[in-house]
Amino acid sequence: MDIFTIGELRKTFSNGEVKEEVLKGVNLTLKKGEITALVGSSGSGKSTLLTIAAGLQPASDGKILFDGHNLTSMTSEEMRSIRAKKFGFVFQFAHLVPFLTVEEQLDLMLDVSEVKMPKENRQQEIHYLLERVGLSHRKQAYPASLSGGEKQRVAIARAIIHKPQVLFADEPTASLDSKRSKEIMSLLRDLTKTLNITTLMVTHDEEMLSYVDHVVKMSDGLVV
Amino acid sequence: MSIAWKEIKKNKMKFFILGSIIFLVSLLTFIISGLANGLSQDNAALIKDLPNGQFYINRDAEENYNLSRIDNSVQEQVISKQKDTVAFSIQMGFLNDESDKQRSVAFVASTDSKLFESVAPGEIVLDRSLEKEGIDVGDTLAYKPFDKPLVVKRFVDHKKFSHAPVAYVNIEDYKKMYRSEEMQLLFIPRADETQNFKELQSFSNNDFLNTIPSYSAEQMSLNMIVWFLIVISGMLFAIFFYMMNVQKIGLYGILKAIGVKTSDLFKMMWTQMLYITSLSLALSIGCSQLFKKIAPEDMPYLLTNETTLLLSIVFIVIGFIGATLSGLQMKKVEPLHAIQQGEV
Repeated sequence: MDIFTIGELRKTFSNGEVKEEVLKGVNLTLKKGEITALVGSSGSGKSTLLTIAAGLQPASDGKILFDGHNLTSMTSEEMRSIRAKKFGFVFQFAHLVPFLTVEEQLDLMLDVSEVKMPKENRQQEIHYLLERVGLSHRKQAYPASLSGGEKQRVAIARAIIHKPQVLFADEPTASLDSKRSKEIMSLLRDLTKTLNITTLMVTHDEEMLSYVDHVVKMSDGLVV
Repeated sequence: MSIAWKEIKKNKMKFFILGSIIFLVSLLTFIISGLANGLSQDNAALIKDLPNGQFYINRDAEENYNLSRIDNSVQEQVISKQKDTVAFSIQMGFLNDESDKQRSVAFVASTDSKLFESVAPGEIVLDRSLEKEGIDVGDTLAYKPFDKPLVVKRFVDHKKFSHAPVAYVNIEDYKKMYRSEEMQLLFIPRADETQNFKELQSFSNNDFLNTIPSYSAEQMSLNMIVWFLIVISGMLFAIFFYMMNVQKIGLYGILKAIGVKTSDLFKMMWTQMLYITSLSLALSIGCSQLFKKIAPEDMPYLLTNETTLLLSIVFIVIGFIGATLSGLQMKKVEPLHAIQQGEV
């Protein structure tokens, strides 16, 4: 079932009089519960495509259909609300809030996404997910005391605690070594499949492609 | 917002420094304000304790009550129109006690009125500060140019003028002491509107206080310091929160990316500002009250609850403005830039 459709998406950056077209009419469809990886050389437009699809920057032209709405015509407040409630994000770096414990990072995301549930259920949910990512013993730890792999696992837990419909992952393993990258990808696949979350991921690492359902190659601003 | 409190808990030192600065600045403001009020009371309690009304002096006196001499016929005319009008005079002078020790006082004489002490001829009523200097009821004091002795009848609390204790004398004695048949001032209590009388110039209570030469200069200087400190505290808030916000630009970007509202980021900052300011103010209010107890008795210090409350509100408002101005940059933070800049 198609859940996310990108049609004729264009993005042009202007630098004074110089205009550079980074996306030249991209078409892409994401199916529910599947992981799609965007690959391609640097400057091919894959990160730009991901950030526009995630509502982090506007498109110059084209459509992004999701949940019955065209995201490209939404206001920034509407887009923020979609990001908070229906999207999840995993970045190259974990980007955790330095003054919150592991448990509080997840609690914050539940607040942001306005998930209404009794406090007890909320605690159970957090505990369950931390167990799934193997960090239930570190729930009181602050980010500064976590390893790179642990931080990224917390970031994944934070990205899916509110059960988003789409997860955007921008090179989630780029800052990790090969062993940890595989652990993270395995975890990502396991969780998104269990929770039936659609995932769009950018990666440079071909080793990670064995964990995804579809590979979309981009070149010079187009899907090839 | 609990995230605001969690940040304070995690970064205690950073917020402790801000709190300490606010505490010191607000304590200094409270103390200087207490001194300003104390000096103001020491300078003009006699006038400040009067109810709101209208003061009148001679138009020719050029706003200087010392030069004012109100003609008796004018005085009678005003009193006939306003029954509760009181005519009075204030003159700085000296009293010598039985051991010939000289003391500076402000002689005050008035027509019959509940607003001023009623004194019989040959008697004198003094401010209590003179009792502390060893003068007792029944003592005989002398005003050198006046051959009649003045017997101390009683003491009254907190009646000062131009930093000198007030000495109430009978109006007939006053006329002889200063060889003047005329009073300097008229006061109509509770007169909401200015009434025009020929040859007289009117002043509200505050306007009249400002005609006292030392009063306005003293108060202006002290109030300028108080307001300067308040502005400084506002700037401190702005600078401190600006520096903290600059350090947190990346974090704000990430929070915005995951869907946190900009208004929630502002709420977080305001909550922190309120926590820190309230705690600092509570401490400095406590210390300023303690200062009241340990300050030397001779130090004029008066910090009323109203002034404390007003200054506290001003501090919070200024802190709010300072923090908000510094937080405007949060509005401009682009989530994408924060993500691209790397780890926060």
